[in-house]
Amino acid sequence: MKFFKSTHEYSYEWNLVSAAQWQKYPNDECPHVSHVDVLNRQLDPKTGVLTTERLITVDQNIPTIIKKILGSTSTQYVREISIIDPQKKTLTMRSINLTLCNLLSVEETIVYHEHPDDKTKTQFTQQAAIKAGSLVSGWSSVLEEFSLRRFKQNADVGRAGFNKVLERFVVMAEAKE
Amino acid sequence: MSSSVGANCTELKQKYDSCFNKWYSEKFLKGDTTSDCEDLFKDYRACVMSTLKEKGIDKLLDDSRKEAPFPSTDQQKQEGAEKTA
Repeated sequence: MKFFKSTHEYSYEWNLVSAAQWQKYPNDECPHVSHVDVLNRQLDPKTGVLTTERLITVDQNIPTIIKKILGSTSTQYVREISIIDPQKKTLTMRSINLTLCNLLSVEETIVYHEHPDDKTKTQFTQQAAIKAGSLVSGWSSVLEEFSLRRFKQNADVGRAGFNKVLERFVVMAEAKE
Repeated sequence: MSSSVGANCTELKQKYDSCFNKWYSEKFLKGDTTSDCEDLFKDYRACVMSTLKEKGIDKLLDDSRKEAPFPSTDQQKQEGAEKTA
């Protein structure tokens, strides 16, 4: 199994970051995210917590050797469940691949929360656990290493793309005032 | 705005997304729990569900939901009490 962890601080308040998250795609840095669909959404009137289930469609080329191990096309589907608590100012997103799940599992958890010492900032933590399935046997290291590299690349462009979305958001918010 | 996995659902999706984004900033973040976008969501969702069936993604989702159900697991409770935005 391979693990990934990364933290970041956005110089924007949590309300803006959480709103911008819903408009993260499409962005030029992340052409691999082809579609995003909302499958379920539920608001708890007592707690004010919003829970959402989404389907994310990813189209990304993979090296020939990986294609041979996975025997797959380049279109993959990811299921994400997010929980937003507007009072605690936390947004937690958990996602897992729906396709290839017998061969490879990529589980990701992302948390955005208000910086405990500075309300104008938002802290971001991203973690992932990558595990090849038993069917892959001798190729599990190759597959996990490739997946980890790909995950890091996508995490980097994801952050860069989201930063641009945030900048645009601020411009639009200022224009309204 | 992002497109839908069902190409013919994209227009319905974007109408719903516009409504949701406005609701999120103007109501939800200010503590207002009234929902605005239910009808738009129903239309969009119906379209997506039929695309998922065509592509066989519904089965993949069912398997995933067995391990980690969407919070309201009781189908009746979900349909009766669902407050979608």
